[in-house]
Amino acid sequence: MKRYILKRLFLLVPTLIGITLITYMIVRFTPGDYTSLRLDMQMGLKTTAASKEILDQERRLYGLDKPWYIGYMDWLGKFCTLDFGTSRKDGRPVSERIGDALPITLALNLITMLIVYVISIPLGIAASVKKDSLFDRVSSLALFILYSLPTFWIALLLLMFLSSGEYLNLFPLGGITSDTMTGAGFFPLAGDAAWHLVLPVITLTYGSFAFLSRYTRANMLEVINQQYITTARSKGLSEPRVIMVHAFRNSLIPLITLMATLLPGLLGGSVIVESIFSIPGMGMLAFEAILARDIPVIMAIEAISALLTLGGILIADLSYALVDPRIRLETKI
Amino acid sequence: MSILTAFFCACTGGVSSRGADELYAYLSAEPDTLNPVISSDAYSAEINSHIYETLLDMDLDTLGRKPDLAERWEISPDHRRYRFFLKKGVLWSDGVEFTADDVVYSFKVIKDPKTANAHRKVNYLDITEVRKIDRYTVDFIYSKEYYLGLEICGGMTIIPRHLFNDGADINTHRNNRLPLGTGPYRFTEWVTGSRIVLERNERYRDRKPAIRKIVYRIVAEPSVAFLMLKKGELDFMSVRPIQWVRQTGSGKFLRSFNKFQYFTPNYSYIAWNSRRPVFSDARVRRAMSRLINLEAILEKLLFGLGKRVNGTFYFYSKYYNSDISPIEYDPAGAMALLKQAGWADTDGDGFLDRNGRKFSFTFTISSGSKFAERLGTIMKEDFRKAGIDMEINRYEWAVFVQKLNSRDFDAVTLSWSLGYNEDPYDLWHSSQMEAGFNFVGFRDAEADSIMERGRREFDEARRTALFRRLDRIIYREQPYTFMFCSPALVVVSKRFGNVVVHRAGLDTDEWTIAGDR
Repeated sequence: MKRYILKRLFLLVPTLIGITLITYMIVRFTPGDYTSLRLDMQMGLKTTAASKEILDQERRLYGLDKPWYIGYMDWLGKFCTLDFGTSRKDGRPVSERIGDALPITLALNLITMLIVYVISIPLGIAASVKKDSLFDRVSSLALFILYSLPTFWIALLLLMFLSSGEYLNLFPLGGITSDTMTGAGFFPLAGDAAWHLVLPVITLTYGSFAFLSRYTRANMLEVINQQYITTARSKGLSEPRVIMVHAFRNSLIPLITLMATLLPGLLGGSVIVESIFSIPGMGMLAFEAILARDIPVIMAIEAISALLTLGGILIADLSYALVDPRIRLETKI
Repeated sequence: MSILTAFFCACTGGVSSRGADELYAYLSAEPDTLNPVISSDAYSAEINSHIYETLLDMDLDTLGRKPDLAERWEISPDHRRYRFFLKKGVLWSDGVEFTADDVVYSFKVIKDPKTANAHRKVNYLDITEVRKIDRYTVDFIYSKEYYLGLEICGGMTIIPRHLFNDGADINTHRNNRLPLGTGPYRFTEWVTGSRIVLERNERYRDRKPAIRKIVYRIVAEPSVAFLMLKKGELDFMSVRPIQWVRQTGSGKFLRSFNKFQYFTPNYSYIAWNSRRPVFSDARVRRAMSRLINLEAILEKLLFGLGKRVNGTFYFYSKYYNSDISPIEYDPAGAMALLKQAGWADTDGDGFLDRNGRKFSFTFTISSGSKFAERLGTIMKEDFRKAGIDMEINRYEWAVFVQKLNSRDFDAVTLSWSLGYNEDPYDLWHSSQMEAGFNFVGFRDAEADSIMERGRREFDEARRTALFRRLDRIIYREQPYTFMFCSPALVVVSKRFGNVVVHRAGLDTDEWTIAGDR
């Protein structure tokens, strides 16, 4: 087991280098760079020989005059010392910008995932136990309707009806805290933050129930038809015990695969939700960085999420072995 | 749920706690930095305009120059030296006096190769030196004469030397997020992604504004910002044409808000790449302009909110040649022009052709622009009727710009947002064809000489005659189909009084709190 983990950790390095290298190449070879984009948008480019020189000067300042592989090596070297560089947009360290956005996104995603899991898994179990019943059909129909409602539309409707004051005035029109809250105590602050999070969380969750509950249901159905479930029933175990202990625990194995996506999923933000609710999270940060070709920010976010994805996959693989002793890790490589 | 929210509301107090002399304004995106030497976006320009000042200011009505940090100026007879006499006793908002050293330092920073401000440097290429004469006098030295010299020197951004000159990298300097100026407001707070707060600068030398505090709320989604406006969480925002027409007309809305409209120098256009064989003939370009029903487009897409323009100069400036009448929608006339240029449907396939080649071109648009998308659809249909085949290609903005810069397009639509006194040279001189903004490849010997002379012509009347002639030539050649100058559409809460619409827009410094009236 220890050897396996070491091997996997060792393999992580080339994979990570591969991912970041490809990302870097894509960003560098995409048309436009920060400096020229800014110039073109500002209409300030009076292109004479002299201003070409100015342009090159600024490119040199950010190492964009060097070939891509040197640029990548520079980036990699700094990344290894955990130096993400400074953002082109505002000159702040990238780590500081991520540090601003990450807690917000993390909080939002944790709450969202918690709600999605707590609601979807029991729903899925219930639907599988009463397969093809009215409940199964109605719940699956309802969840798929929710699933197919576009986020931006629902978000705007929620704001219009619940926050605008024209119908109801229950929630704020976006943001993460009230302007008046600076210097307030912990509980008022937490209450204020929770109040601001209600609508974004609703928007983020409603569409996710369908997938997870259907997934749970499918896995449960597979397990419920196994012979050992029949055995358990014939042993005279109570139905809840059969379902929860014998069936559900075994149906958890495929759910572990989902765990691999959990970690990087925590980091990612929805551009739509963040822009509608004025939340300065990771989604907007990444989106704006890509549009502006802010290479240090793009690379940092990309590298972190690659790392988390790889970590997630590793954890999932290890958990398989823990949950199911039949899986022999050593033979897998 | 309602009990829960009641609890939340109780502990936040809502928005009622804000003062009457606070202005809540809207920013649709966060500024990059608040260092005016480096910043490039409109958001930081808006905020910095309250904090930083320049030697001269633009008079909002006459659009001429008036003293700001300088009390007067002298221009040498050869127009190479601009001498500014600074006001004495002007204080930065931390109490340090503003002097000639700040001006000299700011110029040095702007020109420094280590400063990432290429977009700003280009304006100062021809200024070789800024020299301190004494504590309150500075000279700007130009290497050649230029009619906008005074405007450029007088408009140079000035940052406090005593804060920035500490050896730290200017691009990442801590004061880039903590601006400090001589203007009527001082910076108090920047909450990333949420708001930027300014408070009145009590050290300001001039009449202090009535509004004590300005809060800029950063809201990415305009429709949400509009909900905030109606709820009273914003006092001041510019709205889109559809909101102006459809959503700001109710009695309830008009009881709380005033609506204002004014025109800044901007215009939209369709540019024809004259390097392409199909558009190399001016007759074809003139025909294209006649095939586009601009009146209908203005009504349909912009709700009639816009002014038809026919030239490159600002509609309200003296350079704009108002003797030219706009080209009317005239398909028959267009067909005649196309026939003269050799285009006819000889093979009966419904499309025009010339020397066996079909009249077909690509209209390149930026994928973010809804206006371009809808305009393209209308054009495609109208051109099809005239036997011209048009395809629409969409690109992300950065790629779109790349296509423009490499001159790899047939036709595009864009709009220029220009200065009140814009030098036409960058847009239209043939020297700008290869790499500059003359991406349509406009070339005309007379126009070139007019622009060269205009740059050295300091006599207002003579320059006006020159530029009006230039407008005439551009009109004749139709490198663009000129479309509309779009108005700024602004909504201001009735809590504020004395909201005056100047030629160049609004000035919150002169507003009063309605209760004071």
